[in-house]
Amino acid sequence: MGTPPLPEGPGEGSLQLRCRDLVAGYYGSKVLDGVSFSLSEPAIYVVLGPNGAGKTTLFRTIAGILEPSGGSVTLGGVPVGDPASQERLHFLSHVDGIPDGLRVDEALRFYARVQGADDDEVERVMERLAILPLRHSFLSQLSAGQRKRVSVARIFLQERDIYLLDEPTSNLDPKVAAEIRDLVLGLAREKVVLYSSHNLYEAREIGRHVLALKQGRVSFFGPIGELRSERYVLGIRTLRPSDALAGVPKRGEYYLYELPGPESVPALLRDLESKGVQVREAREMGNPLEDLFT
Amino acid sequence: MALARRGAPPGSLLPITLRRSFVAGRIYLAMGSAFSLLLAVALARARPIVFATTFPLEMPLFAVLGSLGGLIIFSGDRAKGVFEYLLAYGVRPTTIFGNGVLAALGLAATVLAVALAAGLGTYFASGGTPTADLAKSIGLYAVPMSLAGTVFSTTAGMYWASLSSPRSGFNSPLGVAPLLGVGPTVLVLVTAETAPAADFYWITVGAAAILGAAALTLVAASGRLLRSERLLSPL
Repeated sequence: MGTPPLPEGPGEGSLQLRCRDLVAGYYGSKVLDGVSFSLSEPAIYVVLGPNGAGKTTLFRTIAGILEPSGGSVTLGGVPVGDPASQERLHFLSHVDGIPDGLRVDEALRFYARVQGADDDEVERVMERLAILPLRHSFLSQLSAGQRKRVSVARIFLQERDIYLLDEPTSNLDPKVAAEIRDLVLGLAREKVVLYSSHNLYEAREIGRHVLALKQGRVSFFGPIGELRSERYVLGIRTLRPSDALAGVPKRGEYYLYELPGPESVPALLRDLESKGVQVREAREMGNPLEDLFT
Repeated sequence: MALARRGAPPGSLLPITLRRSFVAGRIYLAMGSAFSLLLAVALARARPIVFATTFPLEMPLFAVLGSLGGLIIFSGDRAKGVFEYLLAYGVRPTTIFGNGVLAALGLAATVLAVALAAGLGTYFASGGTPTADLAKSIGLYAVPMSLAGTVFSTTAGMYWASLSSPRSGFNSPLGVAPLLGVGPTVLVLVTAETAPAADFYWITVGAAAILGAAALTLVAASGRLLRSERLLSPL
Protein backbone atom coordinates (compact mmCIF):
# COMPACT_ATOMS: atom_id res chain seq x y z
CA MET A 1 0.00 0.00 0.00
CA GLY A 2 1.44 3.40 -0.94
CA THR A 3 1.81 6.43 1.31
CA PRO A 4 -1.31 8.61 1.15
CA PRO A 5 -0.78 11.88 -0.73
CA LEU A 6 0.10 14.96 1.32
CA PRO A 7 -2.13 18.01 1.30
CA GLU A 8 -0.21 20.03 -1.27
CA GLY A 9 0.23 23.75 -1.67
CA PRO A 10 0.75 24.95 -5.22
CA GLY A 11 4.22 24.78 -6.77
CA GLU A 12 7.16 22.50 -6.11
CA GLY A 13 10.91 23.02 -6.00
CA SER A 14 13.99 23.40 -3.83
CA LEU A 15 11.97 25.68 -1.54
CA GLN A 16 9.67 22.84 -0.72
CA LEU A 17 8.86 22.49 2.96
CA ARG A 18 7.43 19.07 3.61
CA CYS A 19 6.04 17.64 6.84
CA ARG A 20 5.13 13.99 6.73
CA ASP A 21 3.28 12.30 9.62
CA LEU A 22 5.06 14.66 11.97
CA VAL A 23 4.85 13.83 15.68
CA ALA A 24 6.45 16.21 18.17
CA GLY A 25 6.01 17.52 21.70
CA TYR A 26 7.70 18.05 25.01
CA TYR A 27 9.14 15.56 27.49
CA GLY A 28 7.51 12.62 25.73
CA SER A 29 4.06 14.14 25.29
CA LYS A 30 2.53 14.56 21.83
CA VAL A 31 1.46 18.04 20.77
CA LEU A 32 1.65 17.39 17.04
CA ASP A 33 0.25 14.01 16.14
CA GLY A 34 0.58 13.14 12.48
CA VAL A 35 0.88 16.53 10.78
CA SER A 36 1.36 16.30 7.03
CA PHE A 37 1.53 19.06 4.45
CA SER A 38 3.79 20.30 1.73
CA LEU A 39 4.29 23.80 0.37
CA SER A 40 6.74 25.75 -1.71
CA GLU A 41 5.07 28.67 -3.47
CA PRO A 42 6.16 32.07 -2.12
CA ALA A 43 3.19 33.38 -0.14
CA ILE A 44 1.92 33.95 3.36
CA TYR A 45 0.57 30.75 4.86
CA VAL A 46 -1.48 31.65 7.90
CA VAL A 47 -1.25 29.03 10.62
CA LEU A 48 -4.41 29.03 12.69
CA GLY A 49 -5.79 27.04 15.55
CA PRO A 50 -7.04 27.34 19.10
CA ASN A 51 -4.61 27.54 22.01
CA GLY A 52 -2.82 24.23 22.43
CA ALA A 53 -3.45 23.14 18.84
CA GLY A 54 0.29 22.96 18.19
CA LYS A 55 1.13 26.13 16.25
CA THR A 56 4.20 27.08 18.30
CA THR A 57 5.32 23.45 18.47
CA LEU A 58 5.07 23.20 14.68
CA PHE A 59 7.20 26.33 14.26
CA ARG A 60 9.77 25.11 16.78
CA THR A 61 10.00 21.76 15.02
CA ILE A 62 10.42 23.30 11.58
CA ALA A 63 13.06 25.64 13.04
CA GLY A 64 15.02 22.59 14.17
CA ILE A 65 14.70 23.44 17.86
CA LEU A 66 12.50 20.47 18.72
CA GLU A 67 13.38 17.06 17.41
CA PRO A 68 10.39 15.15 15.99
CA SER A 69 9.58 11.95 17.81
CA GLY A 70 7.98 10.60 14.64
CA GLY A 71 7.63 11.43 10.97
CA SER A 72 9.83 13.94 9.22
CA VAL A 73 10.22 17.58 8.24
CA THR A 74 12.42 18.43 5.28
CA LEU A 75 13.33 21.61 3.49
CA GLY A 76 14.34 20.99 -0.11
CA GLY A 77 14.80 17.35 0.82
CA VAL A 78 17.17 18.10 3.71
CA PRO A 79 15.95 17.32 7.24
CA VAL A 80 15.35 20.42 9.37
CA GLY A 81 17.84 20.73 12.20
CA ASP A 82 20.61 20.07 9.70
CA PRO A 83 22.79 23.20 9.38
CA ALA A 84 22.06 23.29 5.65
CA SER A 85 18.35 23.65 6.46
CA GLN A 86 18.72 25.96 9.42
CA GLU A 87 20.61 28.54 7.42
CA ARG A 88 17.66 28.80 5.04
CA LEU A 89 15.19 29.68 7.82
CA HIS A 90 14.32 32.72 9.84
CA PHE A 91 12.42 32.15 13.07
CA LEU A 92 10.58 34.76 15.09
CA SER A 93 9.32 33.31 18.34
CA HIS A 94 6.09 34.38 20.06
CA VAL A 95 8.27 35.70 22.90
CA ASP A 96 10.44 38.58 21.77
CA GLY A 97 13.83 36.93 22.33
CA ILE A 98 15.44 40.24 23.22
CA PRO A 99 18.59 39.95 25.33
CA ASP A 100 18.60 42.19 28.39
CA GLY A 101 21.44 44.52 29.24
CA LEU A 102 22.00 45.77 25.69
CA ARG A 103 21.21 48.87 23.74
CA VAL A 104 19.19 48.56 20.54
CA ASP A 105 22.16 48.69 18.16
CA GLU A 106 24.09 46.26 20.34
CA ALA A 107 21.17 43.83 20.31
CA LEU A 108 20.99 43.97 16.53
CA ARG A 109 24.73 43.36 16.29
CA PHE A 110 24.22 40.41 18.62
CA TYR A 111 21.58 39.04 16.23
CA ALA A 112 23.82 39.75 13.23
CA ARG A 113 26.66 37.84 14.86
CA VAL A 114 24.40 34.86 15.56
CA GLN A 115 23.16 34.82 11.97
CA GLY A 116 26.56 35.46 10.46
CA ALA A 117 25.36 38.73 8.90
CA ASP A 118 27.54 41.78 8.33
CA ASP A 119 27.49 44.61 10.85
CA ASP A 120 26.72 46.98 7.95
CA GLU A 121 23.31 45.39 7.69
CA VAL A 122 22.47 46.60 11.18
CA GLU A 123 22.56 50.25 10.11
CA ARG A 124 20.47 49.57 7.03
CA VAL A 125 17.85 47.59 8.94
CA MET A 126 17.58 50.20 11.71
CA GLU A 127 16.89 52.81 9.06
CA ARG A 128 14.42 50.59 7.21
CA LEU A 129 12.43 49.81 10.35
CA ALA A 130 12.59 53.36 11.69
CA ILE A 131 14.48 52.44 14.84
CA LEU A 132 17.53 54.62 14.23
CA PRO A 133 16.33 57.19 16.82
CA LEU A 134 16.25 54.37 19.40
CA ARG A 135 19.68 52.98 18.63
CA HIS A 136 21.31 54.09 21.88
CA SER A 137 18.34 53.25 24.10
CA PHE A 138 18.51 50.28 26.43
CA LEU A 139 16.02 47.61 25.43
CA SER A 140 14.54 47.69 28.92
CA GLN A 141 13.52 51.31 28.31
CA LEU A 142 11.46 50.53 25.21
CA SER A 143 7.71 50.15 24.93
CA ALA A 144 6.23 46.78 23.92
CA GLY A 145 5.75 48.02 20.37
CA GLN A 146 9.31 49.30 20.11
CA ARG A 147 10.68 46.03 21.48
CA LYS A 148 8.64 44.08 18.96
CA ARG A 149 9.98 46.24 16.17
CA VAL A 150 13.54 45.47 17.29
CA SER A 151 12.64 41.81 17.55
CA VAL A 152 11.18 41.79 14.03
CA ALA A 153 14.20 43.70 12.68
CA ARG A 154 16.41 40.65 13.07
CA ILE A 155 14.66 38.77 10.27
CA PHE A 156 15.62 41.55 7.89
CA LEU A 157 19.34 41.34 8.64
CA GLN A 158 19.72 38.61 6.10
CA GLU A 159 17.81 37.07 3.24
CA ARG A 160 16.58 33.53 3.78
CA ASP A 161 14.09 31.29 2.04
CA ILE A 162 11.53 30.43 4.73
CA TYR A 163 10.22 32.76 7.41
CA LEU A 164 8.54 31.32 10.51
CA LEU A 165 6.71 34.14 12.27
CA ASP A 166 4.90 33.10 15.44
CA GLU A 167 2.34 35.75 16.37
CA PRO A 168 4.46 38.70 15.23
CA THR A 169 1.72 41.25 15.90
CA SER A 170 0.34 40.01 19.21
CA ASN A 171 -0.13 42.66 21.92
CA LEU A 172 0.67 45.49 19.53
CA ASP A 173 -1.30 48.62 18.85
CA PRO A 174 -3.00 48.69 15.42
CA LYS A 175 -0.49 51.11 13.91
CA VAL A 176 2.60 49.06 14.73
CA ALA A 177 0.79 45.85 13.81
CA ALA A 178 -0.08 47.32 10.41
CA GLU A 179 3.54 48.37 9.84
CA ILE A 180 4.75 44.87 10.61
CA ARG A 181 2.11 43.33 8.36
CA ASP A 182 3.29 45.58 5.52
CA LEU A 183 6.85 44.40 5.99
CA VAL A 184 5.76 40.79 5.97
CA LEU A 185 3.63 41.31 2.87
CA GLY A 186 6.72 42.67 1.12
CA LEU A 187 8.67 39.57 2.08
CA ALA A 188 6.04 37.18 0.81
CA ARG A 189 6.49 38.26 -2.80
CA GLU A 190 9.58 36.08 -3.00
CA LYS A 191 9.61 34.04 0.19
CA VAL A 192 7.59 31.41 1.95
CA VAL A 193 6.17 32.91 5.15
CA LEU A 194 4.42 30.83 7.80
CA TYR A 195 2.53 33.28 9.98
CA SER A 196 0.56 32.36 13.07
CA SER A 197 -2.05 34.68 14.47
CA HIS A 198 -5.10 34.69 16.70
CA ASN A 199 -6.48 37.67 14.82
CA LEU A 200 -8.78 36.23 12.18
CA TYR A 201 -9.28 39.54 10.43
CA GLU A 202 -5.54 39.99 10.14
CA ALA A 203 -5.23 36.42 8.87
CA ARG A 204 -7.86 37.04 6.22
CA GLU A 205 -6.24 40.32 5.22
CA ILE A 206 -2.73 39.04 4.61
CA GLY A 207 -2.91 35.29 4.08
CA ARG A 208 -3.28 33.58 0.76
CA HIS A 209 -3.34 30.09 2.24
CA VAL A 210 -4.50 28.71 5.56
CA LEU A 211 -2.99 25.86 7.51
CA ALA A 212 -5.39 25.11 10.33
CA LEU A 213 -4.40 22.88 13.23
CA LYS A 214 -6.75 21.20 15.61
CA GLN A 215 -5.63 18.91 18.42
CA GLY A 216 -2.24 18.45 16.82
CA ARG A 217 -3.49 17.60 13.34
CA VAL A 218 -4.11 19.52 10.12
CA SER A 219 -7.82 20.26 9.92
CA PHE A 220 -7.62 22.40 6.77
CA PHE A 221 -4.90 23.35 4.33
CA GLY A 222 -5.69 25.34 1.25
CA PRO A 223 -6.37 28.77 -0.21
CA ILE A 224 -8.35 31.11 2.03
CA GLY A 225 -10.74 31.68 -0.89
CA GLU A 226 -11.86 28.08 -0.65
CA LEU A 227 -13.10 28.52 2.88
CA ARG A 228 -16.82 28.98 3.11
CA SER A 229 -18.49 29.81 6.36
CA GLU A 230 -21.11 27.34 7.55
CA ARG A 231 -23.10 30.36 8.70
CA TYR A 232 -23.55 33.42 6.56
CA VAL A 233 -24.36 36.39 8.76
CA LEU A 234 -25.36 39.72 7.25
CA GLY A 235 -25.32 42.94 9.26
CA ILE A 236 -27.83 45.65 8.40
CA ARG A 237 -27.40 49.25 9.51
CA THR A 238 -30.43 51.51 9.06
CA LEU A 239 -30.89 55.23 8.60
CA ARG A 240 -33.44 55.36 11.42
CA PRO A 241 -35.02 52.91 13.90
CA SER A 242 -37.85 50.78 12.60
CA ASP A 243 -40.52 48.73 14.38
CA ALA A 244 -40.12 46.13 11.64
CA LEU A 245 -36.77 45.18 13.17
CA ALA A 246 -38.09 44.49 16.67
CA GLY A 247 -36.70 41.23 17.98
CA VAL A 248 -33.85 41.03 15.45
CA PRO A 249 -30.55 40.39 17.28
CA LYS A 250 -28.00 43.23 17.17
CA ARG A 251 -24.22 43.60 17.33
CA GLY A 252 -23.35 47.27 17.80
CA GLU A 253 -25.34 49.25 15.24
CA TYR A 254 -25.93 46.19 13.05
CA TYR A 255 -29.03 44.01 12.96
CA LEU A 256 -27.93 40.44 12.31
CA TYR A 257 -29.55 38.09 9.79
CA GLU A 258 -28.37 34.52 9.35
CA LEU A 259 -28.86 33.53 5.72
CA PRO A 260 -28.18 30.39 3.66
CA GLY A 261 -25.59 32.32 1.63
CA PRO A 262 -24.79 35.56 -0.22
CA GLU A 263 -27.35 34.72 -2.90
CA SER A 264 -30.11 35.38 -0.34
CA VAL A 265 -29.07 38.99 0.28
CA PRO A 266 -31.11 40.69 -2.51
CA ALA A 267 -34.30 38.99 -1.34
CA LEU A 268 -33.71 40.10 2.25
CA LEU A 269 -33.09 43.69 1.17
CA ARG A 270 -36.26 43.70 -0.91
CA ASP A 271 -38.21 42.33 2.03
CA LEU A 272 -36.86 44.99 4.38
CA GLU A 273 -37.60 47.73 1.86
CA SER A 274 -41.18 46.50 1.52
CA LYS A 275 -41.53 46.87 5.31
CA GLY A 276 -40.32 50.46 5.18
CA VAL A 277 -36.84 49.84 6.58
CA GLN A 278 -34.33 52.31 5.16
CA VAL A 279 -31.08 50.39 4.80
CA ARG A 280 -27.93 52.45 5.07
CA GLU A 281 -25.37 49.64 4.90
CA ALA A 282 -25.27 45.85 4.53
CA ARG A 283 -22.10 43.90 5.32
CA GLU A 284 -20.97 40.38 5.88
CA MET A 285 -20.39 39.95 9.62
CA GLY A 286 -18.99 36.45 9.86
CA ASN A 287 -15.44 35.37 9.12
CA PRO A 288 -15.13 31.90 7.62
CA LEU A 289 -11.90 31.45 9.56
CA GLU A 290 -13.96 31.38 12.76
CA ASP A 291 -15.25 27.96 11.76
CA LEU A 292 -11.71 26.61 12.03
CA PHE A 293 -11.83 27.22 15.76
CA THR A 294 -15.08 25.36 16.39
CA MET B 1 14.00 45.54 0.03
CA ALA B 2 17.24 43.81 -0.89
CA LEU B 3 18.47 41.62 1.90
CA ALA B 4 21.97 40.39 2.53
CA ARG B 5 22.66 36.74 1.89
CA ARG B 6 24.28 34.53 4.48
CA GLY B 7 27.85 35.61 5.18
CA ALA B 8 30.32 34.59 7.86
CA PRO B 9 29.58 31.73 10.27
CA PRO B 10 28.27 32.74 13.70
CA GLY B 11 30.92 34.35 15.84
CA SER B 12 31.59 33.65 19.50
CA LEU B 13 28.89 34.92 21.84
CA LEU B 14 31.10 34.70 24.92
CA PRO B 15 32.32 38.34 24.97
CA ILE B 16 28.79 39.72 24.77
CA THR B 17 27.48 37.18 27.29
CA LEU B 18 30.26 38.18 29.66
CA ARG B 19 29.47 41.85 29.23
CA ARG B 20 25.77 41.33 29.76
CA SER B 21 26.50 39.28 32.87
CA PHE B 22 28.56 42.13 34.30
CA VAL B 23 25.68 44.54 33.63
CA ALA B 24 22.95 42.24 34.96
CA GLY B 25 24.95 41.15 38.01
CA ARG B 26 26.60 44.45 38.82
CA ILE B 27 24.91 44.75 42.21
CA TYR B 28 26.13 41.31 43.30
CA LEU B 29 29.56 42.06 41.84
CA ALA B 30 29.70 45.25 43.88
CA MET B 31 28.50 43.45 47.01
CA GLY B 32 31.07 40.68 46.67
CA SER B 33 33.85 43.19 46.12
CA ALA B 34 32.67 45.47 48.96
CA PHE B 35 32.44 42.62 51.49
CA SER B 36 35.97 41.52 50.63
CA LEU B 37 37.21 45.07 51.12
CA LEU B 38 35.47 45.33 54.48
CA LEU B 39 36.96 42.04 55.65
CA ALA B 40 40.41 43.09 54.46
CA VAL B 41 40.16 46.28 56.49
CA ALA B 42 38.84 44.40 59.52
CA LEU B 43 41.74 41.93 59.43
CA ALA B 44 44.39 44.49 58.56
CA ARG B 45 46.05 44.35 61.95
CA ALA B 46 45.51 40.66 62.66
CA ARG B 47 48.44 38.31 63.26
CA PRO B 48 49.75 36.67 60.05
CA ILE B 49 48.45 33.23 61.03
CA VAL B 50 45.00 34.63 61.77
CA PHE B 51 44.93 36.48 58.47
CA ALA B 52 46.13 33.38 56.59
CA THR B 53 43.44 31.17 58.10
CA THR B 54 40.56 33.65 57.98
CA PHE B 55 40.65 35.88 54.92
CA PRO B 56 41.22 33.16 52.28
CA LEU B 57 38.55 30.98 53.86
CA GLU B 58 35.91 33.63 53.27
CA MET B 59 36.92 34.60 49.75
CA PRO B 60 34.76 31.89 48.11
CA LEU B 61 31.67 33.43 49.72
CA PHE B 62 32.34 36.74 47.99
CA ALA B 63 33.24 35.10 44.69
CA VAL B 64 30.04 33.02 44.54
CA LEU B 65 27.97 36.06 45.45
CA GLY B 66 29.67 38.14 42.77
CA SER B 67 29.16 35.50 40.09
CA LEU B 68 25.35 35.58 40.16
CA GLY B 69 25.18 37.71 37.00
CA GLY B 70 25.91 34.63 34.89
CA LEU B 71 22.89 32.84 36.26
CA ILE B 72 20.71 35.93 36.03
CA ILE B 73 21.45 36.17 32.31
CA PHE B 74 20.86 32.44 31.78
CA SER B 75 17.54 32.46 33.62
CA GLY B 76 16.34 35.63 31.89
CA ASP B 77 17.41 34.54 28.42
CA ARG B 78 15.56 31.27 28.74
CA ALA B 79 12.35 32.93 29.90
CA LYS B 80 12.49 35.63 27.23
CA GLY B 81 13.07 33.28 24.33
CA VAL B 82 16.67 34.30 23.59
CA PHE B 83 17.77 30.66 23.73
CA GLU B 84 14.96 29.68 21.40
CA TYR B 85 16.32 32.20 18.95
CA LEU B 86 19.90 30.99 19.35
CA LEU B 87 18.93 27.34 18.90
CA ALA B 88 17.00 28.14 15.72
CA TYR B 89 20.15 29.68 14.27
CA GLY B 90 22.33 26.69 15.00
CA VAL B 91 23.85 27.54 18.40
CA ARG B 92 24.20 24.31 20.38
CA PRO B 93 22.81 23.87 23.92
CA THR B 94 26.29 23.02 25.19
CA THR B 95 27.59 26.34 23.85
CA ILE B 96 24.80 28.21 25.64
CA PHE B 97 25.57 26.33 28.84
CA GLY B 98 29.32 26.84 28.50
CA ASN B 99 28.94 30.57 27.90
CA GLY B 100 26.88 30.87 31.10
CA VAL B 101 29.47 29.04 33.17
CA LEU B 102 32.36 31.00 31.70
CA ALA B 103 30.55 34.30 32.28
CA ALA B 104 30.01 33.37 35.93
CA LEU B 105 33.67 32.42 36.22
CA GLY B 106 34.64 35.79 34.75
CA LEU B 107 32.60 37.55 37.40
CA ALA B 108 34.02 35.36 40.18
CA ALA B 109 37.56 35.99 38.93
CA THR B 110 36.89 39.73 39.08
CA VAL B 111 35.79 39.52 42.71
CA LEU B 112 38.76 37.29 43.49
CA ALA B 113 41.11 39.81 41.93
CA VAL B 114 39.56 42.64 43.92
CA ALA B 115 39.63 40.59 47.12
CA LEU B 116 43.24 39.51 46.67
CA ALA B 117 44.37 43.02 45.81
CA ALA B 118 42.48 44.52 48.73
CA GLY B 119 43.29 41.79 51.24
CA LEU B 120 46.95 41.37 50.44
CA GLY B 121 47.44 45.10 49.88
CA THR B 122 46.01 45.93 53.29
CA TYR B 123 47.90 43.05 54.92
CA PHE B 124 51.27 44.08 53.54
CA ALA B 125 50.61 47.76 54.07
CA SER B 126 49.93 46.99 57.72
CA GLY B 127 53.32 45.31 58.10
CA GLY B 128 52.36 41.72 57.30
CA THR B 129 54.92 39.50 55.65
CA PRO B 130 54.53 36.73 53.06
CA THR B 131 54.20 33.33 54.67
CA ALA B 132 53.88 29.77 53.42
CA ASP B 133 50.57 29.42 55.28
CA LEU B 134 49.14 32.40 53.44
CA ALA B 135 50.34 31.17 50.05
CA LYS B 136 48.90 27.70 50.69
CA SER B 137 45.56 29.06 51.92
CA ILE B 138 45.14 31.17 48.84
CA GLY B 139 46.63 28.83 46.24
CA LEU B 140 45.24 25.53 47.51
CA TYR B 141 41.93 26.66 48.93
CA ALA B 142 40.66 30.19 48.22
CA VAL B 143 41.14 30.26 44.46
CA PRO B 144 40.12 26.66 43.61
CA MET B 145 37.22 26.71 46.10
CA SER B 146 35.96 30.03 44.69
CA LEU B 147 36.04 28.75 41.12
CA ALA B 148 34.60 25.33 41.99
CA GLY B 149 31.86 26.93 44.10
CA THR B 150 30.99 29.25 41.25
CA VAL B 151 30.82 26.46 38.67
CA PHE B 152 28.84 24.25 41.04
CA SER B 153 26.26 26.87 41.98
CA THR B 154 25.92 28.21 38.43
CA THR B 155 25.54 24.75 36.90
CA ALA B 156 23.05 23.60 39.52
CA GLY B 157 21.16 26.88 39.10
CA MET B 158 21.02 26.37 35.33
CA TYR B 159 19.62 22.87 35.75
CA TRP B 160 17.10 24.24 38.19
CA ALA B 161 16.17 27.06 35.84
CA SER B 162 15.76 24.70 32.91
CA LEU B 163 13.40 22.47 34.88
CA SER B 164 11.13 25.14 36.25
CA SER B 165 8.87 28.01 35.36
CA PRO B 166 10.09 31.51 36.17
CA ARG B 167 9.43 32.31 39.80
CA SER B 168 10.88 34.63 42.36
CA GLY B 169 12.13 33.91 45.85
CA PHE B 170 13.57 30.63 47.04
CA ASN B 171 11.76 28.68 44.32
CA SER B 172 13.82 30.47 41.72
CA PRO B 173 17.31 29.37 40.70
CA LEU B 174 18.56 32.74 41.85
CA GLY B 175 17.28 31.95 45.33
CA VAL B 176 18.76 28.46 45.44
CA ALA B 177 22.06 28.82 43.64
CA PRO B 178 23.84 31.07 46.16
CA LEU B 179 22.90 28.67 48.95
CA LEU B 180 24.38 25.78 46.97
CA GLY B 181 27.48 27.80 46.29
CA VAL B 182 28.15 29.18 49.76
CA GLY B 183 26.95 26.10 51.66
CA PRO B 184 30.18 24.12 51.25
CA THR B 185 32.26 27.19 52.09
CA VAL B 186 30.31 27.80 55.28
CA LEU B 187 30.71 24.14 56.17
CA VAL B 188 34.46 24.43 55.70
CA LEU B 189 34.55 27.58 57.82
CA VAL B 190 32.77 25.88 60.70
CA THR B 191 34.74 22.64 60.41
CA ALA B 192 38.11 24.34 60.13
CA GLU B 193 37.26 26.47 63.14
CA THR B 194 36.46 23.49 65.36
CA ALA B 195 38.94 20.91 64.03
CA PRO B 196 42.52 20.59 65.28
CA ALA B 197 44.91 23.02 63.59
CA ALA B 198 46.87 20.14 62.12
CA ASP B 199 43.83 19.14 60.05
CA PHE B 200 43.28 22.61 58.61
CA TYR B 201 44.84 21.94 55.21
CA TRP B 202 43.31 18.48 54.86
CA ILE B 203 39.88 19.96 55.43
CA THR B 204 40.25 22.94 53.14
CA VAL B 205 42.06 21.25 50.27
CA GLY B 206 39.80 18.20 50.54
CA ALA B 207 36.69 20.38 50.40
CA ALA B 208 37.99 22.24 47.35
CA ALA B 209 38.77 18.94 45.63
CA ILE B 210 35.35 17.43 46.41
CA LEU B 211 33.46 20.52 45.26
CA GLY B 212 35.63 20.72 42.15
CA ALA B 213 34.84 17.10 41.32
CA ALA B 214 31.12 17.70 41.88
CA ALA B 215 31.22 20.77 39.63
CA LEU B 216 33.07 18.90 36.89
CA THR B 217 30.55 16.05 37.10
CA LEU B 218 27.68 18.49 36.60
CA VAL B 219 29.48 20.12 33.67
CA ALA B 220 30.17 16.72 32.09
CA ALA B 221 26.49 15.80 32.36
CA SER B 222 25.32 19.02 30.74
CA GLY B 223 25.18 17.60 27.20
CA ARG B 224 22.77 14.87 28.32
CA LEU B 225 20.69 16.89 30.79
CA LEU B 226 20.35 20.23 29.04
CA ARG B 227 18.50 19.25 25.88
CA SER B 228 17.04 21.88 23.56
CA GLU B 229 13.50 21.53 24.88
CA ARG B 230 14.69 22.46 28.38
CA LEU B 231 15.95 25.77 27.07
CA LEU B 232 12.64 26.88 25.56
CA SER B 233 10.66 29.71 27.06
CA PRO B 234 7.87 28.47 29.31
CA LEU B 235 5.87 31.62 28.48
